[in-house]
Amino acid sequence: MIEAHARRKLGAFSLSADLSDGGFICLSGRNGSGKSCFFRAMAGQLPIDEGSVTVGGRDVSRLPVERRGVVLVTPASSIPHLSVDDHLLWGARLRGIPLDPERVSRVRTDLGIDFQGRVRLLSLGMRERVSLATTLLASPAVILVDEAFANLHQRDGFMATYRRLASEAGIDVVFSTQDEADGRLADHLYLMREGRTEKRF
Amino acid sequence: MNWLRAISLAALALLLVPIVVLLYYGLGPLRSPAGYGAAVFRSIELSLFSSAVAVAVDIALFTPLAYYLAREEDRIAESLVDIPVSVPHPIIGVALLILDSPITPSGKFLLGLHISFYNTLLGLVTALVIMSAPIYVKSMQPYFESRDASAEEFAMGLGASRLRTLFSVVLPDSFDGLTSASLISMSRALSEFGSISIIAYYVLQYPFYGVSPASVTIFQLFSGNVAGGLDAAVTASAAMILVALPIALAGHLFRRRRRS
Repeated sequence: MIEAHARRKLGAFSLSADLSDGGFICLSGRNGSGKSCFFRAMAGQLPIDEGSVTVGGRDVSRLPVERRGVVLVTPASSIPHLSVDDHLLWGARLRGIPLDPERVSRVRTDLGIDFQGRVRLLSLGMRERVSLATTLLASPAVILVDEAFANLHQRDGFMATYRRLASEAGIDVVFSTQDEADGRLADHLYLMREGRTEKRF
Repeated sequence: MNWLRAISLAALALLLVPIVVLLYYGLGPLRSPAGYGAAVFRSIELSLFSSAVAVAVDIALFTPLAYYLAREEDRIAESLVDIPVSVPHPIIGVALLILDSPITPSGKFLLGLHISFYNTLLGLVTALVIMSAPIYVKSMQPYFESRDASAEEFAMGLGASRLRTLFSVVLPDSFDGLTSASLISMSRALSEFGSISIIAYYVLQYPFYGVSPASVTIFQLFSGNVAGGLDAAVTASAAMILVALPIALAGHLFRRRRRS
């Protein structure tokens, strides 16, 4: 469960966003509507003037990025010098989470990661799959997916699988999209216009 | 006619004329055996060795500072970095002399630990670190700033501290930036004269006992402190340029490569 209330003036732009839900959450809005700002505020990468971010009932507003349990995944989020295998385990190792090889293998298979090699040599879509799988295996409380579903082959199927795997692991996922129709893939839909959120369901 | 190009190339030529003239006379009409004798080559060896050690120290100590300045807004620290290179360089030599003098508490403390800067390899390297580190930091900082921070933010979200992110995510992917900054700061260290002519005019330690750094040797030849005169100074300068130029050029080539 993530509850975020973020108020921030960014030049002429004013962010005034609220989100309070768990599960697989869609945040839809056009370019420049403030989705990425809101994500960065929730992840702790953008300071907010007013408001708070609560994860599982714990106020993380004053915690640094690395202690929030909130991971932001963008299309450029991968660590390029690592091999696919090392990348997948990197976050879990960092957090000291023991991983069942069967679970790793299942996540690989279910998310279509049937390739090896250095991450820098992969296509954008492959890198996004690896970053999203790495985050899932690291078991944070919340995953924020900022446009990182956008470049995937068989996107709807991938998102349905990701939703199932995240739900099994007890992880809430908020993903951004420019297409409001993507709300059909989510438990909840929020619209974002000019820095303001509106809950649809 | 591209006037911008013409004016730019003329300005560049103005910068290079003294070097070209020096190379012409040093390797041609004024060539003197004293300018490329064993003593000169020993002093170039000392300069190369001490500059390489200084750059290794720059990498170890100042890479985190460059990254800190690139990712955190600390304008005070950013302006303080430039101080050593913005004062006349002999001041750094005098400062190190006083820091390590038996008349100051810091000097008494350091000498009590058998740490001496005066005419030692340690003093030479320390002066070169102070003079080359700002160049290193100012070369690495824009490199770090130009990198997309997404991977770093991703790693931090997964739980990595800034320092861990630097060593695990940023540096393994920064070969070109590190090489370019190292070569540029090494080239700066090789060219240092002001501070080392005070703190380490010559080195009184094995394996460079009695050897002066190259820039000091050239000054000694020119001023007549050692046998040679102007011809030898010009020849030794040309030899030094032939050694230092490839290092500086390689540094700039890597910088271009990292930009592309």
